[in-house]
Amino acid sequence: MILPAGSLHDFGDVMVVGGGISGIQAALDLASSGFKVFLVEKKPTIGGKMAQLDKTFPTNDCSMCIESPKFIECDRHPNIEILSYTEVERVEGEAGDFKVTLVRKPRYVKEDVCTGCTTCTEYCPLNIPDPFNQELSTNKATHIYFSQAVPLVPYIDDQCLYLQDEKCSICESVCENQAIDLRQKPERQTVKVGAIVLSPGYDTFDPGERGDYGYGSIKNVVSSMDFERLLCSTGPHEGEILRPSDHKHPHKIAWIHCVGSRQQQDGGYSYCSAVCCSYIQKQVILAKDHDADTEAFIFHNDIRAYGKDFERFYQRAKNLPGVSFVRSYVEIGREIPETGNVTIRYATDAGGVKEEEFDLVVLGVGLGPPADNQKLAGQFGLELNKHGFCKTNPVNPIETTREGVFVSGAFQGPMDIPESVMSASGANALSGALLKARRGMLDTARVYPEERDVSEEEVKVGVFACHCGANIGRVVNVPSLVEYAKGLGHVAHAEEGLFICSTDAAAEIADTIREKGLNRVVVAACTPRTHEPLFRDTLREGGINQYFFDMANIREHCSWVHSKQKEEATQKAKDIVRMSVARVVGLEPLQEFELPVNKATLVVGGGVAGMTSALSLANQGFEVHLVEKDKDLGGMARRIHTTLEGVDVQTWLRDLIRQVYRHPMIHVSHEAKITDTTGYVGNFVTTVESEGRVRTIRHGATILATGAEEHRPTEYLYGEDERVVTQLELEDLIAKGDEKVGAAGRVVMIQCVGCRQEGRNYCARVCCSQAVKNALRLKELDPDREVWVLYRDMRTYGFREDYYYEAAQKGVRFIHWEPEGRPEVEAATDEEGKPVLQVGVPNAVLGQRLAVDADLVVLSAAVVPSQGNPEVARLFKVPTNPDGFFQEAHVKLRPVDFAADGVFLCGTNHYPKHIQETVSQAHGAAGRAVTLLSHDTVTASGSVCQVNDSACIACGACMDVCAYGAISWGGTRAAKRAEVNAALCKGDGLCCSTCPTGAIDLRHFTDEEVFSQIDAALSEVWS
Amino acid sequence: MGQGEGRDDQNGQQGPGSLTDVETVAPFPEVIDEIKAAGGDAFTYCYQCGKCDVVCPWNRVRDFSIRKIVLQASLGIPDIELDEIWRCTTCGRCPSECPRGVNQIEIGVAIRRIATAYDVLPAPVSAYRRVGASLASDGNPLGEAREARDAWAEDLSLRTYTEGMEVLFFVGCYYSYDPRLQKVARAIAEILKRAGVDFGILGRMESCCGESIRKTGNEEVFKNLARSNIKTFIDNGVKRILVASPHCFHTFKNEYPEFMVNFEIVHISQFLAELIESGRLEVKGALDNKKITYHDPCYLGRHNGIYDEPRNVLKSLAGVELVEMADSREKSLCCGGGGGRIWAETPKTERFADLRMAQARDTGAQVLATACPYCVTNFEESRLSLDEGDPFQVKDITELVLEAIQAGEATS
Repeated sequence: MILPAGSLHDFGDVMVVGGGISGIQAALDLASSGFKVFLVEKKPTIGGKMAQLDKTFPTNDCSMCIESPKFIECDRHPNIEILSYTEVERVEGEAGDFKVTLVRKPRYVKEDVCTGCTTCTEYCPLNIPDPFNQELSTNKATHIYFSQAVPLVPYIDDQCLYLQDEKCSICESVCENQAIDLRQKPERQTVKVGAIVLSPGYDTFDPGERGDYGYGSIKNVVSSMDFERLLCSTGPHEGEILRPSDHKHPHKIAWIHCVGSRQQQDGGYSYCSAVCCSYIQKQVILAKDHDADTEAFIFHNDIRAYGKDFERFYQRAKNLPGVSFVRSYVEIGREIPETGNVTIRYATDAGGVKEEEFDLVVLGVGLGPPADNQKLAGQFGLELNKHGFCKTNPVNPIETTREGVFVSGAFQGPMDIPESVMSASGANALSGALLKARRGMLDTARVYPEERDVSEEEVKVGVFACHCGANIGRVVNVPSLVEYAKGLGHVAHAEEGLFICSTDAAAEIADTIREKGLNRVVVAACTPRTHEPLFRDTLREGGINQYFFDMANIREHCSWVHSKQKEEATQKAKDIVRMSVARVVGLEPLQEFELPVNKATLVVGGGVAGMTSALSLANQGFEVHLVEKDKDLGGMARRIHTTLEGVDVQTWLRDLIRQVYRHPMIHVSHEAKITDTTGYVGNFVTTVESEGRVRTIRHGATILATGAEEHRPTEYLYGEDERVVTQLELEDLIAKGDEKVGAAGRVVMIQCVGCRQEGRNYCARVCCSQAVKNALRLKELDPDREVWVLYRDMRTYGFREDYYYEAAQKGVRFIHWEPEGRPEVEAATDEEGKPVLQVGVPNAVLGQRLAVDADLVVLSAAVVPSQGNPEVARLFKVPTNPDGFFQEAHVKLRPVDFAADGVFLCGTNHYPKHIQETVSQAHGAAGRAVTLLSHDTVTASGSVCQVNDSACIACGACMDVCAYGAISWGGTRAAKRAEVNAALCKGDGLCCSTCPTGAIDLRHFTDEEVFSQIDAALSEVWS
Repeated sequence: MGQGEGRDDQNGQQGPGSLTDVETVAPFPEVIDEIKAAGGDAFTYCYQCGKCDVVCPWNRVRDFSIRKIVLQASLGIPDIELDEIWRCTTCGRCPSECPRGVNQIEIGVAIRRIATAYDVLPAPVSAYRRVGASLASDGNPLGEAREARDAWAEDLSLRTYTEGMEVLFFVGCYYSYDPRLQKVARAIAEILKRAGVDFGILGRMESCCGESIRKTGNEEVFKNLARSNIKTFIDNGVKRILVASPHCFHTFKNEYPEFMVNFEIVHISQFLAELIESGRLEVKGALDNKKITYHDPCYLGRHNGIYDEPRNVLKSLAGVELVEMADSREKSLCCGGGGGRIWAETPKTERFADLRMAQARDTGAQVLATACPYCVTNFEESRLSLDEGDPFQVKDITELVLEAIQAGEATS
């Protein structure tokens, strides 16, 4: 059913409560899967905490740059209705039939009339502390929350003089659209939906409550979120890191870990906040970027670099000059009144306590539940866990205690952005299972204006140059760039803007295209990587073909790398724009392809990840072919008996397997071998040999869930002495009640075996928790047994920290070692002549080498990529990362997608993870696959290669270089010619440069188009 | 490694090889059990974060690692022959800041009990033997005769406590025998009389409360003292006990209940606050425009949460400007007298009290006021290093109250 957009305001399929990155992803996936979504956000704009970050770890992408295009996607998506500045009042009903009462808080601005011109902000006389900038700067009482806000409408803060005392109503009088209404009242709205996704996020720990580390009284002690705003070019000092007391640049900065976390005291959190170690390393790297001479001290007690690429990121920070990681919690010494500097006292292993002076101290504050968690629990009828976060199913963190209400993102518990995004996609899958009968019924198609034929028109280029706040504007003289552009041939219009990616500016481009009859557009701004789709879409809104667009990158390619050479940078920007204009003049209109979509999915791998994603899809009504190379389903989970939280894995696994076999839409193949796979998104063909038969499976999507393996240690006498086992082997022995365990009075566990070293430079994430799990079990079986854990960093992140504490409470001994002094294992006999394994480990605090006589040595062997990965990678044409795990499309925002369309991944083949994380990611992969499978067609890019038959000499060189297998033989038997399958072609152009006769051409990057750019580049040199 | 000098950890053991050619030790389960039995079992919680070392006052005067002692205790390898295990003054900063709830004080005392049992006492604390003997024979640590315990009150006509009196004034050893602190005892007696408090003392029936000797690991002497005092209290129908020493306060309130008794304990600062508020004590006079800074004794403040009453008492006096030092209230810098160290030899360069006096003088105050006999003793010792004629004074809060009272009586 196609409804006019925006016609139903009180009825939908899913309500997403919370518009941070997780809520946004959930809304987009749900909307793209055929559901009508209400996205409710209590702030004046969507964006959440991610919008306040400068950059994100470990890629150091500009946070707003990767997030804000999603704001516009939400805004433009016909299936999403954004209800901002709105809170939930009451929830009634049940799964499939909820009635939610919302309260729309008064903005005192009429959203549908406001144009976002900010005249009211200009005239407002009152300055208030700016909440977006952590109150480090001021803003007017009426202002737009931040420049890329969606909706781009100001709100009036309660401190407004009129709202307080009925004094002043200047804004009302200066607004040309009469959009201000100071008498607005809260409005109630009732909405009926079938499912709810709760994604309210987290709130940072407030060190001001207890005055931790002098926060609130010592000026130059700031929180990490404060520092994030200081770093950001849209922050209080436009990206200059200026310290609060005197607005000078700090040259020596201290970061303190675990502020509010990992403590038993009242007012703090006992758990680990999971992201602080990495975000502190990020801030260190960025601070050094701002000023290479910055000295940094980082005070910690374990570095939790457990995630994908975290360990390398940690090393990157550690190896910067002038950076010291110090293993010690600290105390503030004193504030030095003359300079405002702050001293910190820290412990050394054997050199007493030292005091060091700093210009600025940054507190690594923890992540707590959202401030209104109790209210939310009450309203939604949910239970909270003991830390005040949402209580979830121990094997599925997206399920709450109430049917039909799903939770995604940090309300589950402290987590990073990839986890938030995965769980959001997972919420789509779970909602989809609940509401599968109604999928598509409220679907609204996007209607673009008709595309006008410009082939007869004179070429008219519009150039839009962006300041990007201060990112570009501070270095490149944008006004002179605009003047220059106006003088270029074919340029009919040139203008500048502060943030062209904001909704109003983008909409204005569409208007200008229409009004001025432009038929080519150049946007001189940031990178096409993040923003090209947005502007191409804008051209469609403007009524011209989207391929008449070029993006001149004057930020990454100019202002960011030449920030100290303003004149030269401005000249270079002019050169870049000249090149873009020359190119855009010669561009042709291209059409995208609609490809049909086969609604079946191939899931490769029948472990927890594969089975979960298969069931997730099948429960939504999609057919699944599940292929497993073993003769049994279950994967690695067959060797796991319990989780740290106490789940009986074997029983749960048996049930999961039973569900898979029973589901009529899942077809399982055992002892399967994939011999070939071809095709493209929506149309894959895979050949599988299984149990003696060969089958051809046609499917529209692929999910790779091929798992991982356990490293077989070569050290610590493993393989030479049967008293040395791995954690998985230990778990098995315990489950069987083996005497080897029963007789072991002293067990020593060694962490980090086979990882965090040369050749395998990553952290296997799960081993610290597994060690604690097994240690607790060993103690449960015999409280007098001695259990030792020899660690480098205890990486029991998140709520797992509580189990570390429990283990310590029960007497498990934890001894720290450094790579310079590794443990050693030797077969020996003790004083009584009993054969033991003597484990020697040097400890820096003791200043001695500790020798422990063990009966059993347990190695926490790393999780390593499956040996089958290279073959799978070759078959499915997907990349692996330097560690051998599969490489997703984007570490932060596309953690289950491959760059190749239609292929997804989940589970430990992505990176080692715990069972509940695998389940979350598996639902996420299913959720993402459904955004494809729920449609009958999929759109493919128009920028693909084409062969000029008359020039092709059939040498086949193009086929050799094509990584996507997009070129095959066509033509006739007598006259073979290379033929490009447009659906497979990714448009990388390798074939074009390889072809000896220039017979193959990449549309949108033809030789003429490229040459015109080169000529334009050199034109001023030669003239 | 890249181009930088990225330092891992810092100082001490660094670099490859330095951690491998060190002495090897093995854990001693029997010793661990002994420490646990002596109440030190909380060492298991320690995750070696170093916070205790950072806040420990010792690290302001020399290197000392309570963290290392905790780790050694957990392995059953405490080094009982070294001075280190005797350094802790039980000031309470580290357990109050420890994120994991480790009980460093109990661990330290447990190790000291083992050392005491083996009679291993290094030179700086060898005086503890003499102290123990004096306590056993005469109920005081100072080598004085029991019979002389109430000599300080000779001319004051104080009554012996009998059942039914409002409160027992438990004087305490230093107030009874030490000339400086006897002034405080007399000041208290004067104040109580003026306020019309119906009180009595025990005289030579009073024995040392035992708080400090217990912290040196001498459990036996402590038990004997406690039992003796408790018997005396019971025999005399004692209900409410007024003390001047925070150490007596602490042990009576928190440790004597181990013997299944439940007396009501009140510190003189609390009692004064009561008397002033209820109007029973009128302080008509004023001090001579004095800038005063108050030092929180560890055993009154950190250990027992009494921070405001002493300050309120001082603020209630006219002619007083109260200023705060650095490290005040919960972060108060120990004077160095607790944990038995009032009887230990501490080199001049290692005295916390000197640092505290410097902090007091930094505020511009003319008087350092406090409410503990060890603090007064140590601060008076520090005061001796000031220039001849320097008017800076060390006072107990009761002395200041009496001064104000007497100033009022003089003018009337």
